[in-house]
This record gives sequence, C-alpha cells and structure tokens, in this order.
Amino acid sequence: MTGESVVRGTVVEAGESTNDTDIDADTTDGTEPRDLLDGRGGDGDNAPIRRWNPDLDARMAAFESSVEHVLSPILDALSTAGPGRITLVPDTHYPFHPSTGMVTDPALVGATLSLLDDRTDAELAVAGTSSAAIAFERTTDYLGYPSLVARTGAELVDCSDDDLERERYVLTNDDHAVAVSVPVPLRESAVIAVPTLRPTDAGTFAGGRRTLARLVDAVADSAATAVAATHAIDPRGSLLDATTAYGESPYAANALFSGPTPAVDTLGASLLGQSSIADRTRAAELEAMGTTDGAGEISTVRVTPVGTAADASGVDFEQHLATLRERLDGASLPPSDATHPAVSAAYRLYAAVGGDAVPPQLDARGGH
Amino acid sequence: MCSAIRSRFPFSGSSGLALGVLGVGNIGMVHLKSALSMAAVDVRAAADAMPENRNRAERAGVPRTYDDYTTLLDAEELDAAVVALPPFLHADAVERAAENDVDVFVEKPLARSSEEADRLLETARKAGIAVGVDHTLRYQPDMIGVKSEYEDGTVGRVPYASITRLNDGPLGRPPVEHAPPSWPLDADAAGGGSLLELGIHCFDVLEWLFGDLDVRDATTDATLDIPVEDAATVLLRAPETETTITLHCGSYQWEQLPEVNTRLRLEGITGTISNQDHLPGNFYASAAKSALSNVASRVTGSESDVFGPTFYLQAHYEALSAFCEAIRNGERPPVDGRDGKRSLELAETAYELAADGDGDELETMEVT
Repeated sequence: MTGESVVRGTVVEAGESTNDTDIDADTTDGTEPRDLLDGRGGDGDNAPIRRWNPDLDARMAAFESSVEHVLSPILDALSTAGPGRITLVPDTHYPFHPSTGMVTDPALVGATLSLLDDRTDAELAVAGTSSAAIAFERTTDYLGYPSLVARTGAELVDCSDDDLERERYVLTNDDHAVAVSVPVPLRESAVIAVPTLRPTDAGTFAGGRRTLARLVDAVADSAATAVAATHAIDPRGSLLDATTAYGESPYAANALFSGPTPAVDTLGASLLGQSSIADRTRAAELEAMGTTDGAGEISTVRVTPVGTAADASGVDFEQHLATLRERLDGASLPPSDATHPAVSAAYRLYAAVGGDAVPPQLDARGGH
Repeated sequence: MCSAIRSRFPFSGSSGLALGVLGVGNIGMVHLKSALSMAAVDVRAAADAMPENRNRAERAGVPRTYDDYTTLLDAEELDAAVVALPPFLHADAVERAAENDVDVFVEKPLARSSEEADRLLETARKAGIAVGVDHTLRYQPDMIGVKSEYEDGTVGRVPYASITRLNDGPLGRPPVEHAPPSWPLDADAAGGGSLLELGIHCFDVLEWLFGDLDVRDATTDATLDIPVEDAATVLLRAPETETTITLHCGSYQWEQLPEVNTRLRLEGITGTISNQDHLPGNFYASAAKSALSNVASRVTGSESDVFGPTFYLQAHYEALSAFCEAIRNGERPPVDGRDGKRSLELAETAYELAADGDGDELETMEVT
C-alpha cells in the first residue's frame, strides 16, 4: 500500500456569481444569464447556493471558476501536452433531471468544455453509451447535450456504436487476467471522467471507474471491469460532480472534487458512507495488476481545499465535508418496486386472504 | 345510440357482457383484471403487440390473446371492447370496433385532438355504438367525498379552488428497470404531454364539480429537453359558481405507490374542503378492512372489493363497471364521448393560450 493520494476539493459558493465572470452572451433564449446569487441567504454571508437554478448559462457561469480551480493541474498538463483530442465522460446513464444528482449536471460539462476550449487546441468530445433501457442519443437529447456541445464544437460519441473501432486490452498479472474491448477513440484521447456523487442500483458508488466501465465491453464482474477499463482508458483524472449529490434523496452539496480517478472514487465512496470491503478489496487487488501505485486507492485520501474553499474567509471546508458525509451516509436508491416493498408484501397477503386482484405494478415483478 | 345498443341484446355470451381488451400494458391490465372480477362480464380475449404483455394477460386468466387488436375484433364475437392503446390508435380502434358493432370504453385522452375526437364520435354515431371514456378521478372516493361535501353546502360559496396532479411520467424514477416507452413523449403519437395525460382528468373532475369552465390563461413547461410539456398550469373560471380555479399537472415528480400526489382544495366562505380528508387514512388498515369485507362477501354472496386497498385502481374498476352496467341496460355511458371531447377542448384552449404567452416572461422557462 502506498502513501496518501491528494484530491482537490472546492465549494461552488455564492461569491462565484455571474457578476464576477466574463460570460459568453450566447444564452439559449437570448436573455441575460441569471445570477446564481439569487439563492443567497438573507444573512449576507457567502453561504453555498441552495436553490436549483434552471438557467443552464447561469449554472455554467457559476461553475467555471470552481472548475478551473479544482481541475487546475489537469488543465495545466493538458495545455502543456497538447493532446489532439480530449473526451469528457459524464454520467449520462439515464435522463434523470440533473437537480436530482442522479446524473452529471450538463452545465458542469459545459463549463469544463468551455475551459478546455479556451486552454487547449484539442478537438473536444463527450462520450457515453446506450443501454438496454435507453439509447445514448435519446438520453443526451433529453438532457440538452446537443445544443450544449455545439457551443464548443464538441462531438457526442456513443460508445455502443457498432461502427466504432475497438481495441482489446488485457489487464494481467500472475494470478488474474481481465480483458476489455475499448473504443479506439477513447484510447487515443485524453479522457476526463465526470461522474456524479450517487449510488448505483447495487449500492456502490457510481464513480469515475464505473462510469468508464460502461463504455467498454467485458465479461468480468463490475469491479474488475471498472479497474481494467480505467487502466485501458488511462484517464487524466476525474472531476466529481457533487454540486447536487444523491444520498437517500438529492442534496445540494455544491462541491467539486478532482484528482486521480481511483482516489476520487475512494473519496466518493467514503462520502456516501460506503465501506464495501469486498468490493474495494477486489478492486484494489486488480488495481495492483501491472502497476506499482494503484493500491493507493485504499490508502488515505487527503482532500486539499482550493479556490474559495481554501480562503480563510470563505466557507469552512472541513465542516462542509463533515456535513456532506452526514447527509449522504447510507446512500441508496429508492426500492425497485413501484410500490414500497412493505406495501407490496402487505398487498399480496391481502390479495391471498381477501381474494382480490393484484395490481399489475406488483404483477410485473412476479407478485402473485 | 341507446336504442341501437338495446337492439343488439341479448348479449353475445350466455354468461354476461362479452368483452375484449385492446392493449394490456399497465392500465390495460388494470382494466383486464377489473373485468375478470366482474360477475356479469365475460372476458373473451385480449390483444397486445408485446409478447410479455400477452403472457401477463394469459397468466391473469384471459382465455385467448392476439398480437393485433384488429384480428381480435374480427375473430371474437364481442359486445364491448376496452381501448387501452396509445392515443394515436384510439380512432382506428374505435373504427374497427364500429365495423364489428362493438361498444367501446376508451382510455383517456379520447383522442389526440378534438378534431380527431369529432371524427371518432361521428364514426361511432353512424355505427350506433356507445363510447365511454375512462375519466377515473370522479370515481375516486376522495373526489366523491369532496363533491358530496360541496353539494351539502358545508363551506358555502367557493370563490377559489385548486387541483394538482403529479406523477413521474414515462421516464420514471431510479432504479431504472424498464425501457421508457417513446410514444408518451411524442406529440404526434400522444397528442401532447402532461396536459393530455394528467390535466385531462383534472378538467373532467372540475367540470363535474363546478359545471362548464372557461380557460383564462395557461403556461406549459419542460424540466428536461423533451418534445412535449412535462408540466402545465392553467387558470380557469367556472361562470355558474363564479369560482376561480388553478390547475397544475406534471409528469416530473418521482412517485412511489401507494402515495399518489393528487390534491384538490375548495376554499369556501366558512372553510376548506380537501380531498385529503376523504382518502383512506392508512394503507394497511384499508387493506385489512377490504380483506375482512371480501371474506364476509364470500359467505354472504355479495360483491367483493376489487383493488380494495388502492383507491385509485378501484376507481378504474368502478369506471369500467359503470360503463358495462350502462351497456347492459341500454343506457348512455355515464362518462361518454362528449365528456372526453369536452376535456380535450379545454386542453386545446390551454395549449393555445400557453402558445400565445410564449413571449411573456412568465411563460418563458428555461429547460434543464
């Protein structure tokens, strides 16, 4: 096990309003962007914004400074290296409203694209994939991505597209071998994962590695695929969207974190109160394959406040993290039944005793 | 029409009204299960394009299934059919039913527009078949309670009323278990969004309570970048009672049954009438009461509850039961095509006013 990993964290706060930012005047409806400050409390302090602002331009403008602070090392490295293509991989698994925290806020993706457009000459892309439930195109349409990426000329890439060339990558050591098939454009691109702070259906953290794993084909279990996909794609890091997190309900956490993808995942899992030892041990075991520093994911992760979070006059970042942990502890998604499981069980008992029909909503899940 | 209905009796089957169910998705299955529970109804067959829906119908006890509703109508000798197909198929299904001299109970909205409803009703009139519409709110115990209290004069004159109906629409909530259907988000297929899906129920129940309504203003909204509105707010006036009414409907809110977000309040001179005061107080207590009642009904031979603990599903049973009863008695269905068309007209006026107000600040709402 290696030493600590450093994750940069910041709070998107009221002080970073559109008043302080040079905003591109091209709003979607021709109006002036609204000020995120309208959510400031009446006590005049710089308390984090708590009200969801539906104005995409206002959110983008408010995020831009925070993204620049938290992503600074990665932006610097990309500016220096000058890759031909940079791909963002946000959580776009389903068109849930961004205010739920169940997907990455497209405004955060837009703010990041804008920064990358300013700082690099790279072609930009946003990648995701279709699922059995819904096509990537439909999801991104509903989330407003086409007009968002058009601002920077970025391309939307559906990694489930059969026409995409793929490359087999095998992560191996003496004991294990995990193969994944990776779209070549991802292998040839500088990738930044942009997950959101939420649990998966299985209760694990849907972090950067799992977000990347959705883009590859594999037959291994999800933890192994996540590790192998991360090795194969070799992202420059993760930008964790905790502006709205989902614990057992949405929480306007107003936080952003950035750093090495495994380290950010470890932090995210801990913020959700998850200590799935089996999952993390398995992941760590595989993480160690062919790398000397991968096991760092289960060593200490130190969060360095940056931007306004580092300002003594700003918010108390330690307290912000503590509140985040408290609010998100025990994160899980709602029960899968259309009705609450206790109600379903009661209904089935009732139907058996009373001879009544069982509603189709219970039928669909084998409820007789 | 009624004389034409009467002329076709006695019923095709010896055991009661011969019924077919066209479309056995979720709401179609509710109708199927309801019909199977009715002593004086003989369910002959069901049709659905989806094999899993047909399998579900067969498990529920329907004797025959078809993958095409036209084949069912041609092959079966029916007295009536439930049309629980997507709205773009309602007119065609009614036309096919008319060709086969079959009365119809049509899921709401009756059609995608009042113009289409006119054509549908003219087809029915020429063929002499009855058209019922599944506007269920007026069969719910809470709405019946509100109407009873209002008509008893318990709060005096009612200058203001409000109704809200929210659910999670076709996109649902996490965890994602099924592919969302595309037609509810397709204006050509559905005729519109929330206003036709949910608002149409509200228009019907409000006219049932207050008499004819005038639509004064309206606005629509989309919380995601989807092709139809997922929220609508309508300002109405009931001239007869001089009541001003606000209606809000939306398909944007996560729903977990048995909690159903339908709120109706009548603000009167001496107090408030709320539907919440007329809801079953506790799901478990309600289920237990229904179970006891059903056990007792087995002994006494009286009618038992269907979907007893879930008042909103029971309302569908009551609506279909009332339709079947009317057909058996050669009477006009209690909620007929005129009611269905009237609700469509109100919705269309609301759409027009919302479109007229598109340039106004209030009506211009940013998506996402």
